[in-house]
Amino acid sequence: MSFPTIEFAAFFVIVFVLSWALMPHPRAWRPFILVASYVFYGWVDWRWVLLLVASSLVNTVAAQVIARTPSQRTRKRALIAAIAFDLGLLCVFKYLGFFVSEMDDALNSIGLGSPLPLVQIVLPIGISFFTFQAISYVVDVYRGETRAASLGDVAILQAFFPHLVAGPIVRANELLPQLRTPRNPREVLAGPGLFLIAGGLIKKTVVADELARNVVDPVFNDPGAHSGLEVMLAIYGFAAQIYCDFSGYTDLAIGLALLLGFVLPQNFNRPYLALSLQDFWRRWHMTLSRWLRDYLYIPLGGNRKGRRNTYRNLMLTMLLGGLWHGAAWTFVIWGGIHGSALSAERWARERWRDFHLPTWAAWLITFHVVCLAWVFFRSPDLSTAFGMLGQVFAGGPSPLVTLPMVFLTVAAIVVQGVPTRVWERAEAWLVTRPVAAQGVALGLIIVAADAAVGQEGVAPFIYFQF
Amino acid sequence: MPPRFRKDLVMPAGRVLGVIVIALLVAALFNSEAIVRAGESMERGPTRDIVLSIARPLDDAAGAVGLHLPREGLDLAFGQEDKTGEGTELEEGSTAILRPNRRKPERQSFVQPTSDDPIEVFVTGDSQAEFIGQLLTDALPDDLFDVEIAARNSTGLTNPEFFNWEINAQQEMAARAPDAVVMVIGGNDGFNVLVGDQLYGWGDPEWQTEYARRAAVVMRALGAGERPVYWVPPPTARDDEQNAIYETQNGAVEEAAAAVPGARYVDIFNAINDGEYSDELTIDGDRVLARQPDGIHFTREGAEIPVRLILRAMARDYEALRDAP
Repeated sequence: MSFPTIEFAAFFVIVFVLSWALMPHPRAWRPFILVASYVFYGWVDWRWVLLLVASSLVNTVAAQVIARTPSQRTRKRALIAAIAFDLGLLCVFKYLGFFVSEMDDALNSIGLGSPLPLVQIVLPIGISFFTFQAISYVVDVYRGETRAASLGDVAILQAFFPHLVAGPIVRANELLPQLRTPRNPREVLAGPGLFLIAGGLIKKTVVADELARNVVDPVFNDPGAHSGLEVMLAIYGFAAQIYCDFSGYTDLAIGLALLLGFVLPQNFNRPYLALSLQDFWRRWHMTLSRWLRDYLYIPLGGNRKGRRNTYRNLMLTMLLGGLWHGAAWTFVIWGGIHGSALSAERWARERWRDFHLPTWAAWLITFHVVCLAWVFFRSPDLSTAFGMLGQVFAGGPSPLVTLPMVFLTVAAIVVQGVPTRVWERAEAWLVTRPVAAQGVALGLIIVAADAAVGQEGVAPFIYFQF
Repeated sequence: MPPRFRKDLVMPAGRVLGVIVIALLVAALFNSEAIVRAGESMERGPTRDIVLSIARPLDDAAGAVGLHLPREGLDLAFGQEDKTGEGTELEEGSTAILRPNRRKPERQSFVQPTSDDPIEVFVTGDSQAEFIGQLLTDALPDDLFDVEIAARNSTGLTNPEFFNWEINAQQEMAARAPDAVVMVIGGNDGFNVLVGDQLYGWGDPEWQTEYARRAAVVMRALGAGERPVYWVPPPTARDDEQNAIYETQNGAVEEAAAAVPGARYVDIFNAINDGEYSDELTIDGDRVLARQPDGIHFTREGAEIPVRLILRAMARDYEALRDAP
């Protein structure tokens, strides 16, 4: 089930009423929210729920073993078994096809036919997100950073529908304590909740989908047929599109969770204002970068084992971060560009400690490195990516460069400069309006969002495919 | 910033429910036409019935008091054209359109492309048109053919209440005036069709005739005759029932194309892997994963095969493509 649909609107009203009605009775609320989340997830294909249940079961057992046994050896084995299971799921569903295909190509190139059949495997939506969440849970239990929870709590932690499909990637110690304490129905954080929902809808339908339809998709489909100006607008437009698409989804997820009484972690903090790549990764998909830092970069040694190893660890982390998005060379190069830029940035900082770029230059360089990487992220293959870059200086007419598209692209970036206190004031103002006025305002935003997408409906969120 | 708990940002759950219910009511009233369309696009079943049983009376009431006007204004602002309409030939018309056209010449001639005046090829249809359009763009000589793609996801010919292809084709032809059209459609077409007062399912012979009639109507709306229209019905599908529906459609489209001048049926059902479904196909000696997990759509790599069949069909009209693979 996707958020901006009629089915979800009906589903959410029912869940909202029952969730608050059952909130004082945890024994009834927990199974209810779990079943609701499974209905949400299994709406398209109920078999996917079995996968989620299996993941919760295995990780609960592993965490319980880790928590209860005094033997370090057994604890480690349980941890490794859980991680192997989680990564195994990810490998089978996400990477097996790519691996077999690459293997087939390699064997063919040396004249050996591959006996492996190329079969298409259905990728369960959200598998990358709930798998990473499961890994973080067992590792946290192993490290003693969180207590082992019951099967029911772990199942809710993984399946809670606002974050299930595309994050934010929630850590156990962020959500489990909230699950254990009934939320107060008199104090729902409605200001930010409603604001985020309205903002998320506008970002997705008015900005992301419009840019995709009118500039980004036509140009990336056939870069050679477009002028340099159109190619540049498509690249900047995609930067705006992916931000509005993904952060729009996250806004909806966090907003819906707030209306149910739960606070999910922030996932974006005005990323295109970043003045360095390091700064960018503190602002973009923050729960993924936090995950990569805590469960990959630091265990690899982080920056504690000398300069060369630090660069290696940065590169490895970003390459694997790229592969997390999908099994394709375009994602590997996307990760490689970020890894190289982070390493170069670190090297330059250590080499010229007293030198600081002017703010405008730091912003300009950071933003364009990010945009360069987006070209590979968006392109279906490497030849399209290089085709895009090769076309940047091409001449010719530019009918796709229209004022509305330039405006949407610029607005998506400039709006990030609005100070947080302005939004907070707007949220506080919103909650003091009469209920009817708030309802009418939100209703009109839904109407505008639906008008923007037209008769074919909302395009799937980009991050659903990961 | 992460949402912080502040007294001035909270409301009781009851008031929040009030806001949500009012918002949905306002949206439903102003958007009643869109809800009816969304309902009509759903798979037949209880959810669809519930949505339509609420949305249709609501739409009548909203229309009676002029609540459609703000939405129409917004549609105009966003450049959205209405893709539905009543009384179109697509919904109801004569099967005379399918009578074998004795005047249809064996070969018609169309304007040939030159590097000074390339041919505009418009690739449209449902979601299957996306990758096929992209690969066709790569395959056609850049200096002779300009390709534009407009995939209309989830659409088909059997659900004109949701999306009417006759109307859309007329709008697109008026706006773009292409030299050739590639129409890739049929993947979403399994709905029952109404002929007169009688409803027919895909297994009825009348369904196939009605589908052929509708295809012929859209072929004409796409300007078949003044330009070639390459109509590409679905390939084989992994699911047996779906496969049978697509086979029926292919028969219908072949019949329609035989009757409409300038229409070309491109058979990607029987011509690929002898009509047997397979996830993988061999292209130039390399095995590729040709189908997406749904067992219907081609992957980007797999779309190479239908594109070659389209190129072969185009080569009969355009000399520049005679050497196409």
